[in-house]
Amino acid sequence: MLDDYFDELDRRRFLMGSAAALGAGILAGTPASEAFGAKFPSRNIKVYVPTRHGGGASRNLEAFTSIWKNYLGVNFQASYYPGAAGRVGYEKYMGIAKPDCYELLFGNMGPEVLNWVVKKPTFDLNAYFYFGQMDRDPGQIFVSRKSKFKHIDEIVAEGKKRTIQIGVSRLAHPATLGALALGRHTGAKFNVIPLSGGKRTRAGVATGEMDCGALPSGGIARRGKNFRILAIFDDTNPIPDKIKNAVLVNKHFGMNLPPLVAGARAFGIKRAAVEKYPDRFKILIDTMNKVYGDPAYQKVLKKTKVPMALFTKSWSREGIDKYVKDITAIGEKYKDLLTGKS
Amino acid sequence: MEFDPGLFIGLFARTFTFWWLILPAIFLGLVVGAIPGFSAANTIIILLPMTLAMDPETGLIFMVALYASSRMGAGIPAILVNIPGTAGAAATPLDGYPMTKQGRGQQALAISFVSSVFGGLLATVITLLAMPWLSQLAFYLHSVEMIVIMLFGISLIATIAARDTLKGLIAGFFGLMIGYIGADVVYETPRGTFGFLELYDKVPLIPALVGLFAVSEAFFVIEGESILSKRGREAMQKAGWAGTIEGVRIALSKWWHIIWTSMIGLVIGVVPGAGAAIASFVAYQQSRTFSKTPELYGTGHVEGLIAPESANNGVTSGTLVPLLVIGIPGGATAAIMLVVLQYHGVTMGPDLFMDNPELAYGPFAAMAVTYFMMIFTIAPLARYMSRITVVSTIYMSPIIISFTLVGAFVPRQYMFDMYLALVFGVIGYIARKTGYHTAAILIGVILGPLLETYFLRVLKMSEGDIMVIFSSALGNVMWVALVICLATPYMLQRWRDRKAAA
Repeated sequence: MLDDYFDELDRRRFLMGSAAALGAGILAGTPASEAFGAKFPSRNIKVYVPTRHGGGASRNLEAFTSIWKNYLGVNFQASYYPGAAGRVGYEKYMGIAKPDCYELLFGNMGPEVLNWVVKKPTFDLNAYFYFGQMDRDPGQIFVSRKSKFKHIDEIVAEGKKRTIQIGVSRLAHPATLGALALGRHTGAKFNVIPLSGGKRTRAGVATGEMDCGALPSGGIARRGKNFRILAIFDDTNPIPDKIKNAVLVNKHFGMNLPPLVAGARAFGIKRAAVEKYPDRFKILIDTMNKVYGDPAYQKVLKKTKVPMALFTKSWSREGIDKYVKDITAIGEKYKDLLTGKS
Repeated sequence: MEFDPGLFIGLFARTFTFWWLILPAIFLGLVVGAIPGFSAANTIIILLPMTLAMDPETGLIFMVALYASSRMGAGIPAILVNIPGTAGAAATPLDGYPMTKQGRGQQALAISFVSSVFGGLLATVITLLAMPWLSQLAFYLHSVEMIVIMLFGISLIATIAARDTLKGLIAGFFGLMIGYIGADVVYETPRGTFGFLELYDKVPLIPALVGLFAVSEAFFVIEGESILSKRGREAMQKAGWAGTIEGVRIALSKWWHIIWTSMIGLVIGVVPGAGAAIASFVAYQQSRTFSKTPELYGTGHVEGLIAPESANNGVTSGTLVPLLVIGIPGGATAAIMLVVLQYHGVTMGPDLFMDNPELAYGPFAAMAVTYFMMIFTIAPLARYMSRITVVSTIYMSPIIISFTLVGAFVPRQYMFDMYLALVFGVIGYIARKTGYHTAAILIGVILGPLLETYFLRVLKMSEGDIMVIFSSALGNVMWVALVICLATPYMLQRWRDRKAAA
């Protein structure tokens, strides 16, 4: 059969066949093929991460996408754009990502939203939004196991006599805000020192250069043999079996802070992408929601050694919007402290 | 953390049985260390699926062997073609490359290998024996003390400037200015970025490194037929094993120099966040300060090659100390090792030495065995590696440029970094043509941001009181030592001049 075809192959049929093949090839790689109703997603999804590889964001992203890819039938391709507290990654995403639902953002909402309070970005803040929250890890104050401080009251009392040095990963961070708010409320003199990341903050506290530190709780609870958590900026203690004898700041000091969730990783997407391709976004959401209940996902999360209670089991747009609004509001309230203008 | 000879003998014996794993790791580390941008940390990340699948002991031995040999590998291109594989080898070409140009490349490689192996081996053994005390160092070397350590390294600019004061200082300050580009560490305010987002996170080191050294070198060597002088080429073509044997002999005769410069590396390595680049510059500066022939440094002087190579290999065991004792990695590679160990449920801290001493001391035993094996596997290669220098520049220049541009791209995967390497290449070329020292620029680029970080941190802690830099007893002792180190060469010179005049 094939031999017959080649026997009859003349120049015109060859050229026509070649043109058709070329056309099909071009269409396969262009948005035109998508316009013809090709299934979504038909190629890998790119994720912009505004931090270095190796931290909490990449840990959560890899855990989630390792399961999500099974539902979508395509792989996720993460690109890391660290720098200026996440600003570089956001600017890159908002600047070069195509609004086609094939390009997403993944970051830690709290600290990154606070960035915009301190310094406005070059893009419109309403041009993107978050979805699919992965974890809910409250900020806390911790000390080294070797520290003389055993209770947050001792730190506050000492802070009324001298300046307490508090190591933080960066200034614009929910845990930092919590420490500053506590100092202002109690009259203790707290001096927050940005140490560029959780690893260096833990080192600063462990080596005694800092009196204490303020970070998300998961990483510290995991290192319970070296550190002790003294105060939590949330309404409940999410991991009472790991964090014993820590006080809830609002309850203990009669404060009214919103939950200062310091680890709240979520995906982000350009609003234009959702408006242009609502069907694609629906596929993303529908498949994503299946991941939360997948036992394989729970198994992957367990391997991270982060307390399971810190991972969310579901999410809502309203919840995320409220969190972003609350963090922005408290950031505005303490803007003077975050920018050193107090 | 008590010394138990039986435990250590058993540990070494057991580690030797992993020779089948250590040998490939050595060769892999050597290759990735020699290619700019492909550090041990990157490679271990790529190989994570493999190391995670191994049991913790096997995974650790593999990672440690790769880490140690990559440190040595970084010195090879630094010596042969003036391309430091990593920032830790940035001080190596200062004297290593002039040796190559004189046709002593084989000898220089042998000296580098022996210094690296014995420096690394010694630092590892000292770490094993002195772990309880070394682990306390990080509790004393805080930001104030780190400022002084940085200044020890930066003062090398003044040393380089001694040959042409004005040009040396201009180059150094130019480097420092480049080093301050990017967002500040306190308020994240971008400075001098010219609107480039890619510069918000500081000027990336690898593009600066390969640009200033390698790309400018490629531009430079194309003007001649070969990297080597005519006499050097003749010497190289006749060279047999004599260069290697002579190199080993020379290095061994400088055993005391290897010992004390590797100790500088060990002490700096123990401090979290400090690294091989600082250690090698500080060791070079100290070596020159206490040398009887400081004027020979930069001309292919053996001690100027031994100092950075011993020091940057001394760092390797030092970075593991805070990782194992307090769970804080001393550097990027140690941080990835931490990920692997945590994956296997291993908790770092003092308890590890009591609960699982094999795992706690194992990395040091693996490092010592790796260095031991490297003596026999790598040193004989010096003769063959050095032959690369006789390759014609017609081939050499394009190879250098293409390899290094890929190397500039790899760490962050930004096209921007390739362009940046070319820009630094042009800067380096112009600097060298006009008599400015590229090493002085690079010292500013590498150490400037670190100095600024510690300086801003102590200023923030003291709420703006500059006198905080003299607030620590240990820091003050170090300040006095710095002043003595800076003044000693001038005092010695004056003393010699007076003696000669009398």
